[in-house]
Amino acid sequence: MARLSTPPHLLTTTLGKAMRWAQTRSMWPATFGLACCAIEMMAAGTAHHDLARFGMEVFRASPRQADLMIVAGRVSQKMAPVLRQVYDQMADPKWVISMGACASTGGMFNNYALVQGVDQVVPVDVYVPGCPPGPQSLIHGILTLQDKVMSGELAR
Amino acid sequence: MADTTGTGPLGAFFKGMAVTGRQFIATVFGKGLVTTKYPQEMREKPQRFHGRHVLNRYEDGMEKCIGCELCAGACPARCIYVRGADNPDDRPVSPGERYGFVYEINMLRCIFCGLCVEACPTEAITHTRLFEMSTTNRADAIYTKTELLVDEEGRPNHMFETDRLADFDELGEADGWMRATAPQGRAAYEGQVSWSGSAGVGVRPPEAGQSDLPEEAGEGDGEDRA
Amino acid sequence: MSAADRSMVSLTIDGEAVEAPAGDLLIKAAEDNGAYIPRFCWHPRMNPVGMCRMCLVEIETPRGKAIIPSCMQPVNDGMVVHTESAAAKKAQEGVLEFLLLNHPLDCPVCDKGGECPLQDQTMSYGPGESRFVEEKRHFAKPIPISDLVLLDRERCILCARCTRFSDEISGDPLIEFHHRGGDTQVLTFPDEPFTSYFSGNTVQICPVGALTAVPYRFRARPWDLQVAESTGVVHTEGSRLAVHASQNQVLRFLGVDNGATNQGWLSDKERFGFEFIGSPDRLRTPLIREGSGFREAGWGEALDLAGERLRAVIAEQGGGAVAALGGARGTNEDAYALSKFMRTAADSNNLDAQLGDGLEARFLAGLAGRGRIDDLESARTILLWGPDLKETHPILYLRVRRAAQERGASLVIFHPRRTGLDDRAAHKFTYLPGTGPEVLARFAAGEGEFRAAREAMDEGPLAALVGRPGLAEAPRLAESVAAFARRRGGSILPLVHRGNTFGALDMGAAPDLLPGRVTTATDGSAPDLVAAWGDLPVAPGLDALGIAEAAAAGEIGFLILCGSDPVRDMAGFDGGAALSGAGFVLAIDLFLTDSSRRADVVLPALGFAEKKGTVTNLEGRVQMVNRLVPGPGQARADWSVLDDLSARLGRPIGLASEEDITAEIARVAPAYAGVTWDYLEWEAREGAVVPLEGAVQPLRYEPQHADLNGESVGRESGNFSLHLARTMYDDGVMVRHSPSLSRLAPDAAAYMTPAYAASIGLAEGDEVEVPLVAGAVTLPVRFDPTLHEGAVYVPFNQPGMDIRFGVDGPSGGVS
Repeated sequence: MARLSTPPHLLTTTLGKAMRWAQTRSMWPATFGLACCAIEMMAAGTAHHDLARFGMEVFRASPRQADLMIVAGRVSQKMAPVLRQVYDQMADPKWVISMGACASTGGMFNNYALVQGVDQVVPVDVYVPGCPPGPQSLIHGILTLQDKVMSGELAR
Repeated sequence: MADTTGTGPLGAFFKGMAVTGRQFIATVFGKGLVTTKYPQEMREKPQRFHGRHVLNRYEDGMEKCIGCELCAGACPARCIYVRGADNPDDRPVSPGERYGFVYEINMLRCIFCGLCVEACPTEAITHTRLFEMSTTNRADAIYTKTELLVDEEGRPNHMFETDRLADFDELGEADGWMRATAPQGRAAYEGQVSWSGSAGVGVRPPEAGQSDLPEEAGEGDGEDRA
Repeated sequence: MSAADRSMVSLTIDGEAVEAPAGDLLIKAAEDNGAYIPRFCWHPRMNPVGMCRMCLVEIETPRGKAIIPSCMQPVNDGMVVHTESAAAKKAQEGVLEFLLLNHPLDCPVCDKGGECPLQDQTMSYGPGESRFVEEKRHFAKPIPISDLVLLDRERCILCARCTRFSDEISGDPLIEFHHRGGDTQVLTFPDEPFTSYFSGNTVQICPVGALTAVPYRFRARPWDLQVAESTGVVHTEGSRLAVHASQNQVLRFLGVDNGATNQGWLSDKERFGFEFIGSPDRLRTPLIREGSGFREAGWGEALDLAGERLRAVIAEQGGGAVAALGGARGTNEDAYALSKFMRTAADSNNLDAQLGDGLEARFLAGLAGRGRIDDLESARTILLWGPDLKETHPILYLRVRRAAQERGASLVIFHPRRTGLDDRAAHKFTYLPGTGPEVLARFAAGEGEFRAAREAMDEGPLAALVGRPGLAEAPRLAESVAAFARRRGGSILPLVHRGNTFGALDMGAAPDLLPGRVTTATDGSAPDLVAAWGDLPVAPGLDALGIAEAAAAGEIGFLILCGSDPVRDMAGFDGGAALSGAGFVLAIDLFLTDSSRRADVVLPALGFAEKKGTVTNLEGRVQMVNRLVPGPGQARADWSVLDDLSARLGRPIGLASEEDITAEIARVAPAYAGVTWDYLEWEAREGAVVPLEGAVQPLRYEPQHADLNGESVGRESGNFSLHLARTMYDDGVMVRHSPSLSRLAPDAAAYMTPAYAASIGLAEGDEVEVPLVAGAVTLPVRFDPTLHEGAVYVPFNQPGMDIRFGVDGPSGGVS
């Protein structure tokens, strides 16, 4: 996809910024909790951490309505095709956060049963280290993503 | 819909909105707000929080790490890679014969269990309460000595722009997990130089509550220092 | 003597009635019967000394219970032993507490940490805490006691394992205890470093981290090492060793106790020679000559080019114009592939694993009366007429030394110079190089000074170790000596230099041999081989010297170098001239050597620890080598390269994997019948001596006494006899790429006795011109009074010696 920021005309850059602002402020996550990280992901959505502050409280069960897939937990070899299918069903623009050690690299489960990094299956935009990452770590990951989208680095 | 309260539709509306309004006022102006304002304010994290690692220094600036690889051996995720080397005679990096020549942690493999901190014989590696490590690519998640080693003042490196969110004031306090697992963490060791804080140099205050423990609970009579 | 030969005694260990062979030490009897007694100083391959006191146990005596060290106590009938009684425990705890008084406990920085007997036994048998609160003893640490070994005296627990090893086993007592009491320390003698060829063994057997090896210092910790057992190919004895690697880098070798071969010991060259494996100079991609240099190429292109040239040479000049040198540095599988490639694809018998420095191939492969290394254990007399074992066959050296020293076998040595075993020899004869046949004749007749030694030959079982004492010596002399020993019923061990020469010859890497100890004159003795290989070339082949001469004369159109370096390593001919004369040179090698630098195509090969397979030692013992690390870059195994090349000729040799090749060898090579990986890995833990029971060895070569008087060259006025011999460390490819070893080679020099030097007007340090076959070389004169008068000793292939090719006769003139 071509980035909206090029070529740098006044109108298109401004429009691009507006679009990116809109994208970051209403990034709806798909529910993709796979293991313990999902508990922290849910916690991030509760009143205590309140993802609504970033316009992200609407976890969508339907990939068609989601913009962001937070892969929260270890991805088994059997789950990998499912994960890919859900990703494919999401409408553009879409982003992926790999949450926690297992999703990012397999973590301590260096074995045949787990995908050693979900980036083997889907393109990952932000990796969030932690086992599991706390809600604030996740929010940091989301903020990182938003920063990158705003700066045009990850704009779709 | 039957009007059971007898106030009429408009009355019901105001009654409902009154609840909303009360909650609104309580949250915004009173004590009812439970939401933490994370990017703007940091939550106070427990002393034993298992956050990002740092490699510490002694007060004279020497590195504490001796490259013994015990952390790598203890690591269940095998995310630590260490290689030792001979300390150069003219410019020793650490006290003793050997220093950590290569030190790398793959933060994406790391499960923050703290076994490395427990295993470390010199308290070189400790947890901080930093938790902001998100990256946009895997290579950035491999922390080398450049990122891990604290500077001369004992402050961890700024790695990313996002580190502006870190609360460096917290880092001056003791690393509770190291205290909890090392013999030096016992109350009898309070004030020893080896009680350096999690992310720095020199003598730091102990973990809250540790020095109030009765002697037997601390088990530390100093004998196993030898 | 095996346990079964001895009478058994009954004793009680920890309440259990057990039997043990009489004469066994209590510590060993207990271990054999499942009661492990902790120990530091006792080593099963060394004499007990009772230094550490860790093995204290309680035994019941008529005068009550007593605490005794079990490593000094032979078992007795009716003995009652408690290894875990309260008294024994208290004694062991006390000893450990005592040993730890001055031990620095710097385990985190100690190379032994994690595999340290002191750590382990402190965990298992220690008291848990120390009452010692005073300051510990301090020494400077660590101090280098040789180029390879560092000593940390603080950690030493004075078990005397290292000093006993260098005294009893390796025979160079260069380290000893100094001072007394609390100041006791192991040290070298002033100005005399621990320059033993076996110093690495002391590092391995040190039960603490007092002795550490320079090449392994701080390189890894035991818990991040991967281990694979393998077999050394540096020397021909087939030492069993364990390869340790971390992060796909080989970091050290440790000796493994194979009772039949190395018994746990390794020479330093073998032990520290691992460094060449990870050398940055290793070849990574195929290289094709372009002008005076090379360019990197893909495998396909390089093989296409070589295949095209080879096909043209075969079509135009026939198979006789194709030749191959090498095979003795790889596995049997590689040698088999080379042999099969040459015979079936290239239609040529021109191949040789030796480079003119060995003995006759049929003698080495098919020798009737070939002995085993273990024969040294029962021999009454040991005849050694060959190279200095300490320099070229270090494991045999240890075994012979042990036999002479511990069992009193009388050792008879013939050599032009001092050897490492002289101090244990009953008879040592220093003779002038070139006069060997006459000396043998006089010795066989028992004349004069030889009478006592000659009588010793008939005293009992005889073991004869025969080889070429120097490269200037006629090769047939060794066979005459073997014939002499064979007439006395002696068991014969042939001595040659390269690690897997015997395996390569057994695989047919010689002009007149085929796999499985079959001669090319197949007389129906190997029907399976003929069936599998089809038509074999009939033209007689050339050996290495023949190939080199033919190549220099321009008769070889295609020369394959399989891990051989004729420029530096060939004795008797100028290898460089041979390479220049050959039409096309294909080198399959680990490094760009002086030979492969002259090749037209260089292909990167896999080396030791990078491929799996089998090797054969000098007694015919087949053992496995194992893969632990991947090779550098695009390097491939020799066999698969040859397989691909044969496919490009349209005559595929059909080899698919190492295991398949071993299976094919077991099927077609008569002497190797039954030797499969399964058999070697699961049944023959000490290796299998071929032929196995039930297999036949078609070639049985009776050594013949050769009348060599015509070849013998006497000393003439103004001339000298040259003694050109190999040393442990030289300028070979492996040593040169092992940084720790490369600086240990002695420099090139001409050694002579002071009297002889004076007679021709030379003083120490003067330059002397020594004429060799392809030109003279100027060397500094050094004195060596142990040489025979009139002989000049020149170590072979030393750094700083520009001309390395050998000699064609044992004499020359000094100018």
